[in-house]
Formats: sequence, C-alpha cells, structure tokens
Amino acid sequence: MDLSLDDTQQLIQESARDFVRNACNRDVLLRLDRNPAETMSLLWPKIAELGWTGMAIPEQYGGTGNSMTDVAVLFEELGTGPVPGPLFSSAVLAAHILLQAASSAQKQAWLPAISSGERVFTLALTEAHYGWSPEQVRMAARQDGSSLSVSGTKVMVHDAIHATDLLVPVRIDGASAHSLLRVGARSKGVSIRALDGFLSAVSEVAFDDVRVSKDDIVGEPGAAWDAMQRALLRAVAVLCAYKVGGCRAVFGMSVEYSRERSQFGQAIGRFQRVQDHVIQIVNHLDSARWTTYEALYKVDSGLDAAASVHMAKSVASESYMRACDFAHEVHAGIGVVREYGLTLHTKMSRTLYHCLGSPKTHRRQLERELKLC
Amino acid sequence: MNFAIEDSPQQGAFRADVRTWLEKNTPAGIAHSADPCDMTLEQYRIRRSLGRRLGEMGWLYPTLPKQYGGGDLDAEKTVILYDEMARIGLSLPPYYDAGGRMGAPTILVWGTEEQKNRFLPPICRGEVRTWQLLTEPSAGSDLAGIKTTAIRDGDAYVVNGQKVFVGSSHGADQSWTIVVTDPKGERHKNLSWLMIPMDLPGISVVPMDLLATGGEGGSGSGVKNSVFFDNVRVPAQNLVGGENNGWKVATTHLEIEHGGMGRLADRRVVYEFLEFCRERHDGHAIADDPDARAELVEMFIEAEITRLFALRNHWLSHTGQPRSYEGAQYSLRRKLSGLDIASRMLRIAGPRVLSKDPRWGPLEGTVEYFQRDAITALHPGATTDIQRVIMARRIGVGRREREQAGTVR
Ligand SMILES: Cc1cc2nc3c(=O)[nH]c(=O)nc-3n(C[C@H](O)[C@H](O)[C@H](O)COP(=O)(O)OP(=O)(O)OC[C@H]3O[C@@H](n4cnc5c(N)ncnc54)[C@H](O)[C@@H]3O)c2cc1C
Repeated sequence: MDLSLDDTQQLIQESARDFVRNACNRDVLLRLDRNPAETMSLLWPKIAELGWTGMAIPEQYGGTGNSMTDVAVLFEELGTGPVPGPLFSSAVLAAHILLQAASSAQKQAWLPAISSGERVFTLALTEAHYGWSPEQVRMAARQDGSSLSVSGTKVMVHDAIHATDLLVPVRIDGASAHSLLRVGARSKGVSIRALDGFLSAVSEVAFDDVRVSKDDIVGEPGAAWDAMQRALLRAVAVLCAYKVGGCRAVFGMSVEYSRERSQFGQAIGRFQRVQDHVIQIVNHLDSARWTTYEALYKVDSGLDAAASVHMAKSVASESYMRACDFAHEVHAGIGVVREYGLTLHTKMSRTLYHCLGSPKTHRRQLERELKLC
Repeated sequence: MNFAIEDSPQQGAFRADVRTWLEKNTPAGIAHSADPCDMTLEQYRIRRSLGRRLGEMGWLYPTLPKQYGGGDLDAEKTVILYDEMARIGLSLPPYYDAGGRMGAPTILVWGTEEQKNRFLPPICRGEVRTWQLLTEPSAGSDLAGIKTTAIRDGDAYVVNGQKVFVGSSHGADQSWTIVVTDPKGERHKNLSWLMIPMDLPGISVVPMDLLATGGEGGSGSGVKNSVFFDNVRVPAQNLVGGENNGWKVATTHLEIEHGGMGRLADRRVVYEFLEFCRERHDGHAIADDPDARAELVEMFIEAEITRLFALRNHWLSHTGQPRSYEGAQYSLRRKLSGLDIASRMLRIAGPRVLSKDPRWGPLEGTVEYFQRDAITALHPGATTDIQRVIMARRIGVGRREREQAGTVR
C-alpha cells in the first residue's frame, strides 16, 4: 500500500497549483463569475498549452493517455479555484464517451481536435423532467431521408456556452434505446440560452428541426446508453476530485480565517463552536477525498469500480455543499461578501450537486451494487 | 390552551376590516421581483406610501402605545394583522425599517419622555425610515468592541468611524447607532446610542455586494452598505439612554433583534414550494416520488416548529411574561431550518431551484433567491454560535446564576 502521489502526479499538482495561484487567481475568478463568456479567451489557450486538454485522451488520438488518477490530481487543484470552464465536460466526459461509443473514424475525426483544445464538446443529456436515468431522457429524432431531424429541449446543460459540439442522447423514431448524436453547437436550429441564477455556466439548449447527418450518429444507433454509462463511471470520479479540491479550498480559507480574525480579544478559532465547524469541514473533505481516490484506483486498475464510484459521487457532492455551509458559519459576514471569494465555491457546490447524477441517484445504484434490491 | 386558529366574532370582524382596508389601500405595483436587491426606487416609494397609510391606522407599529402613534393592539389582533399582510406577501412594516423595528421599542424603555415624543411618532406614522448601525469591520459578534467614537463637543457629539453590513437600498432618514463615548473607559461602560439624521454633513454610504440580503421576507430590504462617519456633528439631545450606559440599552435592542418579541412571519416560500411540488409539470409532479414526499414532510415540520416558536415568543412578550432562552432559540431555529429547507429543495427538485430563469426557475425566482438567502441569513442579528451561547447562559448550563433576558416592555 502506498497512498502518496507518484512523481508525475506531483508535477501535475505543482503546475496546476501555479496556474490557480497566477493565471486564475481570485481577481480572474471573480471576473469570470461576472462574465463567464470570457473564460475561453482568458483561460483556454493556456489550458491547451499546458496539455491538459489531452491528458485523458490516448496517444493515438493526440493525447498523453494519463491515468484517471493523474487527471484527478489536476482536477483537484482546479477545484480549489474553483476554476470554471469546459475542461471536464470536453476533455474528460465527452472524450471518454467518444472513446466508449464512437466508431474509429469518428474517434479519428473528433478526439484529436478535443485533445488540442481546438474543439470543445459537451454532453447535453438532461431534460425538463430532470434526471440522469434513461427513462428521463426522451428527446426524439426522426429519420428524414438521408438525415435526421431533431426537435426538443435539453436543460441544465453544463458549458454549452463554450461548446463547438454537443453530444445529444435521443430516441430515434420512437425507439426505447438511446442513440447519441453529435450536433454542431452553431448548427441551424440550435439555440443556447445561459440560465441566470445561483448557477455557473449552465444553459438551456433548444433544438428546432435541427438536421443531423447519419455520419453524426455516434457509434451504433441504439447502443448509446451502455457506452455512456461506462464512460460516466470513469469520468464521475474525476468530477469528484474537483469537489475534493473545493472542500480543500474552503477548509484552508476557514482555518486561516480562524487564526487571523479576532473577537472578544482572541482568535475566533479559540472558540470551541468555531473549532466544531472547522472539524466538520475537514471530516467532509477527508470523506470525499478517500472515497474518491479509492474509486480512481479501482478505475485505473481495471477492478470493479462501480460501487466505489457511486459512493464517491454521493459523498463528494454532499461534502462539498456541507463544507461550504460550515465555512460560511466560520466566516459569518465576510463570507457572504462576493469579492471575498467563498461564495464562488458555495455556488459551484450547488451547481455540481446534481451534475452526472445526484447523491440520491448514486445511492440507488449503490443499493443495486450491494444487491439490496 | 387556545391557539386561536378560529377568530372570535370580534376578531373575525377585525380581520375582515383589515382585509378590506388592505384591498382598498395597497397600491398597485408594490410587489417587486424575488430578489429585494432589484427593488426600484419607485417600488420603495410605493411601500413607504402604504407605510404612511398603515401608520394613520396605528397599524404600522401595532403593539406600540397609541400615544406615540402605535396601535396598542393585543396579541391576537397583532397576529391577525401580520397574517393579513403575509397573505398579500408583505411584512410589517412593508419596507426595511430595522432601526424602527428595534430602535422604537428600545427607546420606549430607555428614552426620556421628550425623546419618546420626538422619535416614536414619526417612526410609527411611517414618516421616516430608520437603519440600525451596530457592526464594524473589527466588531461583529463582539459588539462591545466597536471603535466608532462620538466625542462630546458643546451641544453635539462628533462622530468618526465606519459601520459595515448595514441598512438597505434607497437610503434612510436616520440611523439608530451604537458608538463609543468614552474611548478610555472600561469595556461595557463606554458605549452610547445615538439617533443620527442621515442628511448630516460627513456621512457617506457605500453599497456592498453580498450573496443575498438575509432580510425579513416581504420587507424588501435590498443591499447592505458600509457607512462612513467623518467628523459628523450629531445634536447631543439625540443620545438615548444616558451617556456610557449604552451596553444596558443594547441588551434591550439585542433581545428584540434575537427574536425575543416573536416575528410573526411564516416562511411563505415553504408553503408555496409544497404547492409547486403538488402541481403537474409535463405530466410529472415532484410529489409523485415517495423520497421527495418524505423530504417535503420534513420541510413542513421544520417550518411549523419555527412558526410555533415565533408564536410562543409573541405570546410571552405580549402577555408580559418572563422570557429567558426563547428569543435565541427561535432565531437559531429559523437560521438552521432555513439552510436545511434550502438544501432539501435542491435535493428533491434538482438544479432548477438554482435558476431564476422565467421558464425553469420555480415560483418566479423566489426559490433561487431563497437558496442564496438561507446562507446569508445565518449571520445577521447574531451568528448561530452566539445564539447557542445565549441559550446556554440563559438556561444556566453549568452555572446556577442565569443570565437575564434584556428588558423589553
Ligand atoms: C445580510 C446581513 C445583514 C446584516 N445586517 C446588519 C444590520 O442591519 N446592522 C448591523 O449592525 N449589522 C448587520 N449585520 C452584521 C451582523 O450582525 C454580523 O455579521 C454578525 O453579528 C456576526 O459578526 P461578524 O460577521 O463580524 O462575524 P464574527 O463575529 O467575526 O464571527 C466569526 C465567527 O466567530 C464566531 N464567534 C465569534 N465570537 C464567538 C463566541 N464568543 N463564541 C463562539 N463563537 C464565536 C462566530 O459565530 C463566527 O462563526 C448583517 C450581516 C449580514 C450578513
């Protein structure tokens, strides 16, 4: 047993830390929070240059084929920002869906462009009756001569505002099995509308008789769901690491503040009530961390990772949200001042709570893995 | 015991009067969007005008004595009045007036007769709006550690310093303010309260950008501010409760702020959310799911217990009974249940509760706003930790000597 990071991982961690400290410091984060559209011009070229867009993609498609744990180490650091942008959506989630689902010609056509950062893919799955289960995904496509026609609405799509390409699960001609379509984000009939609120970079994507060539059916028609599930199982663990980073950041902020803020003539961290809040945060952090990294280890070692991944996702989502709540208790007034930066995490912890399945959804799957039903 | 769910004939008649009056006198356009920070000046003025009309009836401050412009209403009638206001989505006063809500009852206890006659009627009649100025950059929970000074100079006090997290959008006429009048004095024996007219030279107000307002539902509080005092001369007759006696005065103010009088405002958003979950959208109702129903029941219970604590405090305070930990208990419960309810909403209704989009955000954005406000509302008044400290001292945990509640009329 060795729970430490290897040399490669330490290098990744250092360069990501440097990125968060400099290129993506708090001023930049606050600016992007006010104006998310600037993410691509301010951050993306640097992210691509660092090679992060290719980390989760095999060498034959222009990437560096790192392990999921390597990728997670990067995402943990990005989560400390929290650094926004479509890196996860495109270079991890979409890339792995394509690896699992696409034909080899499609992989050759799309993955190198994702790997270089030239194209940005995102998954547009969830609909009005929100959820990540197959029965909640109903959007229809219709065969119409040599192409397909797609109409309907996807909601709560992450990073669509940054995307060049959408991966859209649909049911073709009333089939119960899902097919996956690649749709250009700027195709005729596609409209993307960012949703305002306590959310980051989430949109409604409406399709109005969008024409899709049959070459853009990803892999075999009707075979999308299982392939997506396999990809999701790998990608989810990386998203968890991002939340671990978020927990770590609010933990660090809280400890620091408990030392420097003084009331009643003493550091507030001397009050046992404040200590209790900080202890809650670190307990959430470590629960998220170790469930996440064991799941990643299983994914990378080819072991059966399902139960671990479902557990990690349900723990990490809840932990990030609760860690932020306790960090607010520690900070009181200053914590809700937007420019202080804590609320960036609070908002992110909520935005990602349901992404790729809520804790409840994953607990349901865990019930099955544990053969309780 | 009688929880007076049914009005007596006389109370029923009062309710009918209030309802008819409100129907006739509530101006159009009083509602603003879910986020009080979006309230326009025009909407604020509309609220103030309703305030003045309520003031004429003695209903703006219904429990204060008639001789100072209040309504002298008993506990039941006050409940009815709050009820009827809540029915149309408003609170009493229908605008942010924390300095009046807490300052007026404090002045009633600590002011001279002359001060009561000077300060209370304009507040009760809705002619002025008052902020409360306590917190400073280095003094939040530790209120006695404030640094803003007010030094006597002839017939005035000269005020210098900074307050933070105070007030609301669209300014104030006056501010109920705690200051240090004896910078060399012993802790707790160096403080005083001043009513400061906000148009005096040397005052500047700078808005803060917060996650939400943490305010009372229906009052349209709006943004918080920093207020800077630069050699502001405040008439000496505006010092209330005696020079350097401000800590005693503060115990009254804080008792009210910590919920000692019972705020009769339901968490409307919870009851509306229950309705939203019963409704069908695209053939689905959130309440179809048994897990969601279980969460909704928890939310309902949380909201009801909080409501009952408020009702109890209101009853205790209006029947002149002694209170100890009850104010802090209500306040703590309201804060923690708010956060709990907000996360349950997210759990059962999905990310749309985070959206204020007209198409996807439930209840015209009020749920999205509540997601932010439940976090923000943990802090105003006193943090959850401080509420626990107060409860323990008042109950006498680990000590025979119990701390007394602050004097409220
Ligand atoms: C939305 C909002 C509205 C507000 N409105 C007003 C207003 O109208 N007027 C006004 O004057 N102020 C207002 N405030 C300020 C508010 O009263 C303070 O934020 C609050 O009292 C806490 O002070 P603080 O923020 O300085 O936190 P601190 O006092 O610095 O607290 C930091 C942490 O230390 C803990 N702590 C401190 N002392 C103790 C102790 N003795 N034992 C245990 N734990 C302790 C706290 O619980 C907290 O966890 C408002 C604040 C907010 C956020």
